[in-house]
Amino acid sequence: MIFRNDFHPEAKYTPDEMQNIMQQWQTWMGGMAAKGQLANTGTRLGGDGKTIRPSNVVTNGPYAEIKEMITGVIVVKAGDIDEATEIAKGCPILNAGGNVEVRNIVPMGSN
Amino acid sequence: MFQWEVIKFHPKNFKEMKEFAMIYRSETMGEIKLTPEGTMAVSKEWENWMGGIAAQNKLVSPGMRLGNEGRMVKPGNVVTNGPYAEIKEIIGGLSIFRAESIEEASEWAKTCPILNAGGNVEVRDIIQMNG
Repeated sequence: MIFRNDFHPEAKYTPDEMQNIMQQWQTWMGGMAAKGQLANTGTRLGGDGKTIRPSNVVTNGPYAEIKEMITGVIVVKAGDIDEATEIAKGCPILNAGGNVEVRNIVPMGSN
Repeated sequence: MFQWEVIKFHPKNFKEMKEFAMIYRSETMGEIKLTPEGTMAVSKEWENWMGGIAAQNKLVSPGMRLGNEGRMVKPGNVVTNGPYAEIKEIIGGLSIFRAESIEEASEWAKTCPILNAGGNVEVRDIIQMNG
C-alpha cells in the first residue's frame, strides 16, 4: 500500500492533533497485525527528495505527482487485491484527504 | 522473499548513515513483451547494480517489485481500478539504501539501470519509526 497526501511541508499540527493522528494509525495498523494481515510495517517518508532522470538530470524535491507526494509504504497480506483494497478503506489517511494505492508484489527472482 | 526487517542491521562503523528509499518509475509496459533474452539482460543489469551497492554495504533492503495490478482508494469509499496514474508513469518497485546524505544516495541512483530504459528514480529520506 502506497500512501499519498498533499505536499504541505509547512503544515504544522498541534501536539494534540499529532497524537490523534498517530492514534488513528496505531489503531488501524494494530487491527491488521492482530488479524495477521500486516506483513511489514514499512517505511514512513520525510519531505526531502530528489528525482533522477536519464542523462544525469537531477531535480530537487519529491517526485511531483500533480500536488501529491508519497508519504509512506506498508506491506499487507491478503488473498487478492480486492481483499487488500477492503483493508485500505480503513486507512486513516483517507480522513486527511489523502489516498492509498494498492499494488500486487511480484516475488523476487520471477520474471 | 521480502526481507527488509531481516537485513536492517546497523554495523557500528555505519552509525552516521541514514536510510533512503529509492522509488523506481517508468512508463507502463502494457502489451510490450520482452524476448526471454531481453528479460534476462534487464535482470542481469539490475543484479549487477544491486550487487555493487550491497558489496559496499549500502543496501538495506532490495525491497520489492510491483506488478501491474492496482486499485486506488480515495476518501468517501471511492475505488478506481489500476495503479496511481502519474501522467503516464507508474511505480515499478522500491528499495532501501544506506547513505550519509541524500546527495550520496542520489549518486547511487544515477547508475540505476531503469535510466537506460527511460525511467526515473525518486530518492526520499526515511523517518525512522520506534525512535
